[in-house]
Amino acid sequence: MATETALGASPETTRGTTGFRHWSALRNAAILLVLWEILGRFKLVAGGALPAPTEVLIRFWSDRGDYPAHILSTFQGASLGFLIGNGLAILAGILFAVSPVAARLGRGLNVAIFALPPIAISPILVLTFSGMTPRVVLAALGCYFVTMSATVTGISQTDRRMLDVVRAYGGGRLALLRLVEIRAALPAILAGLRVAAPAAVLGSILAEFGGGGRFGLGAYLIGSLGRADPARLWGIGLAATAMALIAYGIFSLIEARLTRSTRAITVAATPPGIRSEGSLLSTIAITLASIALPFIVWWLLLKILGTPAMIAKTPAGVFDYLFLAPSATSAQTRLLAALGQTLPMTLIGMAAGLAFAFLLALASVVRPSIVRSFMPVALVTQTMPLVALTPLLVLLLGRGPSVILWITISVTFFPAFVTLAQGLGMVSRGALDVVRAYGASPFTQLRLVSIPASLPYLFAAMRLAVPRALLGVMIAEWLATGTGLGNLLNQSRGYLDYGMIWTVAVVSVLISVLFYQIVIVIERHVLQKRGMQPAA
Amino acid sequence: MHLSLNRRHFMGLMGAAATMPMMGRMASAATPFNFQASWINDAEFAGYFLAADKGYYKEAGLELEYLSGGPDVIPESSIIAGKADLTLTTPDTTIKAIVEQGAPFKIIGAQYQKNPIGIVSLAKNPIKQPKDLIGKTLAVPPVNVISVEAMLKISGVDRAQVNIVPYAYDPTPLIKGEIDASVDFTTNVPFTIKQAGEEATSFLLYDFGFTIFNDTVVVTEETLKAKRKEIVAFLKASRKGWEENLKDPAAYPKTFADTWFKGTGRSLENEVYFNTAQKPLIENAKGIYSMSEEAIAANIEALAAVGITAKREHFDTTVLEEV
Repeated sequence: MATETALGASPETTRGTTGFRHWSALRNAAILLVLWEILGRFKLVAGGALPAPTEVLIRFWSDRGDYPAHILSTFQGASLGFLIGNGLAILAGILFAVSPVAARLGRGLNVAIFALPPIAISPILVLTFSGMTPRVVLAALGCYFVTMSATVTGISQTDRRMLDVVRAYGGGRLALLRLVEIRAALPAILAGLRVAAPAAVLGSILAEFGGGGRFGLGAYLIGSLGRADPARLWGIGLAATAMALIAYGIFSLIEARLTRSTRAITVAATPPGIRSEGSLLSTIAITLASIALPFIVWWLLLKILGTPAMIAKTPAGVFDYLFLAPSATSAQTRLLAALGQTLPMTLIGMAAGLAFAFLLALASVVRPSIVRSFMPVALVTQTMPLVALTPLLVLLLGRGPSVILWITISVTFFPAFVTLAQGLGMVSRGALDVVRAYGASPFTQLRLVSIPASLPYLFAAMRLAVPRALLGVMIAEWLATGTGLGNLLNQSRGYLDYGMIWTVAVVSVLISVLFYQIVIVIERHVLQKRGMQPAA
Repeated sequence: MHLSLNRRHFMGLMGAAATMPMMGRMASAATPFNFQASWINDAEFAGYFLAADKGYYKEAGLELEYLSGGPDVIPESSIIAGKADLTLTTPDTTIKAIVEQGAPFKIIGAQYQKNPIGIVSLAKNPIKQPKDLIGKTLAVPPVNVISVEAMLKISGVDRAQVNIVPYAYDPTPLIKGEIDASVDFTTNVPFTIKQAGEEATSFLLYDFGFTIFNDTVVVTEETLKAKRKEIVAFLKASRKGWEENLKDPAAYPKTFADTWFKGTGRSLENEVYFNTAQKPLIENAKGIYSMSEEAIAANIEALAAVGITAKREHFDTTVLEEV
């Protein structure tokens, strides 16, 4: 017990997720690899559907001639999308943090962008743009929301005392932003970029599935799917993971360098300023505008791009399809049946994913080495294209609710975990020192300080999890179970039922926004009681 | 900074410029023509690769832009969006779109006289006819569910007695016995299964009443009016490519290994197997792509079984008469 306390007390370990700094992490990774090798070699998992690492390596070596062109192509799409998406996200985040009105106006649009199901928009992007553009757009969309909300979180959690100092010396809005807020937000922004990096890789690969281009890891994966060669599929997936891992590592290193100077040493004594909501009338006006904005942008984009009306459904087109057209009743019946299958799974999957992320984030405070050796596995679940893993998952878990649940947990877990671990890592050292001085064990520290202090991050993680959970369920339905919205979407694509493709996309966005608003209401209630500010 | 070109760089640039005409870009008076394929580059499109490599399209005055397909590419969407002039489709989805959404498509030819799609199973757990599917698990790509339901209905098998699950084009679950059969191209998957050390057995949906074409050649009515001459030229050059390719199915795939097939991750033996297996499904006494009146009637009848009311007017045989 004594050694544990000593470990927990070292400032290094409270951050937890920065990399392989300890031998124990390397040792754990080695144990995992050996275990995997044994499972693969002796065909212990799903009748040999899980290849051993050495088999994957051997296959990779014999395929080495194929890889460079594919990797380069995916890298181009992902990195360009990463730059554009994050650039826009940081600018938008600053704007939303500075102007509460803009934040409330943009809320609908932001959530809508985050909730767009890539499987639904990828074919639409491919039709509207050509060449690399669909990949860049999807990669950028994958980055935007995470980084934007991280920027807002970072800025809104700025220590009020520092702002007061600059104000006392006559600093204006820009000076506050430049001298304090952006610096204070840097760790949060970097954490956002860390999550965005795998998202960009995955976005590019998803667009490659539908892009019809000849090169890119996604295109390679599609070509290899029919070969019944799991070692090849794992090789491609791990190549994608390696790309994401390198980007993740780079931002972790930068973060480790920079955050030392920005961590609060003492606790702010004044609560953060409470946002004034303005009159009831202006609140209603802004809310309505926020709801209308995504629809206006949707309509404008289609007009500007000039996509033919048969493919590109405007808001009016979707309304017509769902309520007025002769086929409306049939469309409604199919949609409701699918929703009945998808919604319960989404709620259960989200709850499980969040619970898992929260437990692991707490574990990262008490025992950082567990997390260090677990991170690579968690990253694999983010960047391994699920299409490559489906045969294995289906063989392991069957085609029932459990496969949906596992896929959903795996896609909701990672961003929630990073948000939570970051929140726990930003807990003020002064507050921890107080309870430590009284001899509190790591668990007591968690209970008294870390968990209450990380509440805003828990809510932020919950908001992030909503659309991802829905997406996870839809992917599982599409690839494994053949039920619900995921199947409806895929089948509609095959039948050229563009009205239904758009309807499913719109409905999934609306559901996400609804859940998001519910979380916000609960969050406001809980945090105001505690004198805290919502994260983002 | 001073920008200068040394001699070697300059020669390099000249060399790059010199290769441009080889890529067909400078061919004089050639009309651009965009072709959207329905799948990734494999032997299914060997005839087009050959025609392009041998310069048949250029001879016909076309500058061909070849767009590869894939599982997520909806070929019909490409011609509606104006990205492609001509594409290959499955007739059930195309006609469904014409009937239900008023899509302005015309079917002007058919690459496969017999749809290569069939039920593939392992020889040790064989499914040789639709009745064998009762009580079994069958993986079907969501797009093909209606075709399979039609075949079951025509064969008198109750749909409720077959467990249909999604198929993601990976035969692993079949090889491992998680599913009993899958719906896929019979020209392709049995080879993969053999590579994995199992023996496959298969039958065509076509042979059990679902008598439809596949890779139907589709254009929009507008393109048919505006580019009829180019469409005829394309079909003529492609037919020539296919005839040459099918003379010896083992001869040409290797010439595409470093070009068209590069990076697809498929083996050459697989392509030769595919090319050989598809020969009887493509060949046609009246010339490749031809659609006889009997075959069209068979398509209309089969589609009626799935509730798609195909009409003779959806097929236009006059274009091929000009080839």
